[in-house]
Amino acid sequence: MAGACAAVGLSAAARRAASRAPVPVFPVAGIGARREMDDLLVEPRLRIVDTPAAANVLLLAGEVPNALVAELALLHDGLSHPRTSLWWTLGAGVAPVIPFSVEVRDSDPSALVDAVVDAHRRLLTGELASSSPQLPDEDGAPWRGVGPYGQGGTGMTGGVPYGRPMAGVAPDRDGLRLDQLTVRIGPFFARFPTGLVLELRLQGDVVQEAQLVLPPSDVPTARVASTPFSDALHVPVRVSVLELERARSHLRSIASTLVSHQLGSLARRVLHLARQVRPGDDEEVERLHRVLRRSQILGWATSGVGHIASDRLEGTAAGPILRASGIARDERTDDPAYVGLGFEPIVHEGSDARARLAQRLAEARHSLELAGRAGDIDHDPESPLESPRGRLAADDLPAQRILPLIPALLAGMEWGDAVSTVVSLDLDTDEVLAMRATDSEFLVP
Amino acid sequence: MLGPLGAALAVFVAATVAMVALRSASDAIAGVGETAPERVPFLGGHPPEMHAWSRFHARYYVMALLFLAFDMEMVFMYPWAVVFVREGGIALVEMGMFITILLVGVLYAWRERALRWA
Repeated sequence: MAGACAAVGLSAAARRAASRAPVPVFPVAGIGARREMDDLLVEPRLRIVDTPAAANVLLLAGEVPNALVAELALLHDGLSHPRTSLWWTLGAGVAPVIPFSVEVRDSDPSALVDAVVDAHRRLLTGELASSSPQLPDEDGAPWRGVGPYGQGGTGMTGGVPYGRPMAGVAPDRDGLRLDQLTVRIGPFFARFPTGLVLELRLQGDVVQEAQLVLPPSDVPTARVASTPFSDALHVPVRVSVLELERARSHLRSIASTLVSHQLGSLARRVLHLARQVRPGDDEEVERLHRVLRRSQILGWATSGVGHIASDRLEGTAAGPILRASGIARDERTDDPAYVGLGFEPIVHEGSDARARLAQRLAEARHSLELAGRAGDIDHDPESPLESPRGRLAADDLPAQRILPLIPALLAGMEWGDAVSTVVSLDLDTDEVLAMRATDSEFLVP
Repeated sequence: MLGPLGAALAVFVAATVAMVALRSASDAIAGVGETAPERVPFLGGHPPEMHAWSRFHARYYVMALLFLAFDMEMVFMYPWAVVFVREGGIALVEMGMFITILLVGVLYAWRERALRWA
């Protein structure tokens, strides 16, 4: 009797201790939710993890397109028990296709964190049941050979001995013939924007070939959430508002780069700055630049990685990517509002991930300086518009021009460098989710 | 009283019991992998299309060979150290030549990009 009481007491104490630890959360940023999800990294009560197996809470934010139902169900089933899903609406009208236990309508991040922590506590105390699997218990490729005891098969290389095909053989760059593994990464890979799917042929960790997998054009296109830049296409918007938004976007992109290099505490510092920065705070960014320049790890991990030849960038109008390759092309030079401010584009040489990082830092600083002295000048909707990712016009999104660069860029890279390269392109989640296969060069599932 | 064999046996038994206990405790509390979709590796939302068994080029084997070469060189240096006091400068020059030949080999491998990791 006493033993049973001790066991119950011990288990309750263990549950209390577990519910005080940061909640492991796997985030899925839907349409219009990238910024809020990135900012969750600075919440000390949450631990943002990269795989569902490390998480107990699946956090869906904004509108997650219904076309991703199968992938979402598999993602949900990969969570560790006890598990639950939450939906942070963030103004989205369409609910996710998988069931969720809590709906958070308040867009304040602290309200969300309270809800997540409470759901996690209730999960651990048993008040909230662990959510049941979304997919039937069927193995797509059962581990069973052709023999009576499940042994054996035909064609050990390049064949199908156990349900799933084996890797085929292909020449590698040293003239050897080695196995080539096909893997499909995405659409919920933690380092990529939601919706980006790459089909890779890997030899070891070297990417031999990469292809984009886009939803077919008959799937309805996702809407792009409203930002100061999308508004500026239709109505006059203050230049200071646009420039502040540009600086914040660049700082968030830098934070993503830092996260991808496992520099979490630096990333938190940058995200704090992105949240608090005000027009004229360019000195803060300069201080950050000095800190980042001192980081040897960041230097080694980004220099020479993801080099894009400048002829490939012709006609892409890809904003900072283009200017980090030494091409002084900026839509703001043709905008009367900016001409009045004496705007001159900033350019970096190198065209690798390091140059793109330096370019975004310098532009963030420049934007804050411009925002500080722009006063009440408005951007005219008729003038060309430079978004943080390049030229923006109705039906002409930067991601449409940047994504086609990826397959040729990744070929021959190690997987780690390939991830750094994709992160350094700073693709926008909303724009990626709006992409549809129209061209034959895209692989269509 | 137990003797060294008895002590070793006791440690072995204790380690085995601890391992079995840890495994059972971990199986009891871990709820992962009950259905087939819960067990598949995470690739970002897609199930794997191919078996993960694949033969790939272990490019670090060049580093292993280099390590072996310099390791053997250390083995040569032990008898050399014994005669070094007696022979003096001439032994130093001879060992210097030996190490230089090995280093030239490393430089050649470097130039041929054999040290590229991937």
